[in-house]
Amino acid sequence: MAGHSEEHGAHTHPSDRFYWIVAGVLAVVTALEVGLFIVNEQHLIAKWLEVALLLILSTIKGAAVVMFFMHLKGDAGIFKFVFLVPLAFATTLLLSFMVLFSEHVGIAG
Amino acid sequence: MSELTTRTHGAVAHHTSLGVDNRKLGVWAFIGSETLFFATLITTYFVFAPVNRARPDFQDPREFLDIELTTVLASILLASSLTMVLALSASRRGDRRSFTTWLLATVGLGLAFIGGQAYEFNHLYHEGLTLSSSLFGTTFFVLTGFHGTHVAIGVIWLLSVFFKVRAYPDSPENVMDVEIAGLYWHFVDLVWVAIFVLVYLI
Repeated sequence: MAGHSEEHGAHTHPSDRFYWIVAGVLAVVTALEVGLFIVNEQHLIAKWLEVALLLILSTIKGAAVVMFFMHLKGDAGIFKFVFLVPLAFATTLLLSFMVLFSEHVGIAG
Repeated sequence: MSELTTRTHGAVAHHTSLGVDNRKLGVWAFIGSETLFFATLITTYFVFAPVNRARPDFQDPREFLDIELTTVLASILLASSLTMVLALSASRRGDRRSFTTWLLATVGLGLAFIGGQAYEFNHLYHEGLTLSSSLFGTTFFVLTGFHGTHVAIGVIWLLSVFFKVRAYPDSPENVMDVEIAGLYWHFVDLVWVAIFVLVYLI
């Protein structure tokens, strides 16, 4: 990123060109997600593999937004703490309930 | 937590004892709490999915959800994240013209998203999917409706920041105003990244 930066006070911020590149990557990943979904309507690959690939692609998108658009990469550690700890709790919550209730039809039924 | 307030170039900077701006820390903490809020809604959607399938009023998500429209909405929000960060960059440079262009573009894209979601909701309603038609309808509309509400709040927030800072967008106080509004906006985009893949694609 060294070649795409501009000085502002004591901090270094990415250039506009860098943000356009990140947006381009996000657009490509989104196209891959939708393409995978459409192509696999013909059941060319196993559902679990499709889900795994979609989760990986969306994680890449989310990480890019957080690190580069929200500037969490390189920002103060306290910001990372107050965001990543709840995110870890949230992920644990989602996975735990998926395991517990994924085929459970009795709850509130 | 003690607070040190310093005045730099006519603007007030609010620093905590941690050496970071207290408003920015507050917004990050708020975003952390919002992460848990949306996680509970997404978890509820998945917990009730098998229940929905087992009930007599079962409605199949695949029959209702329109991937083409949703892809457009996802692209709109991703584009708005780009314009938001470009507005922040212009604010830091003191480029008022670019700042105005990019921030109002972000507002416009946010309004386009809300319009698209209103169209989707109206379409689904006429297809027979409502808040009370099935468990899928309930969990889907609560989740996406709360997200749409957050987008609407973000649009109001961005407009209020625009009218506050447009004269001097590059003062440290105003740059921070733009930055924390941007953090919220990017988070709303981040939530849609999750909803798009978990609800619409999987």
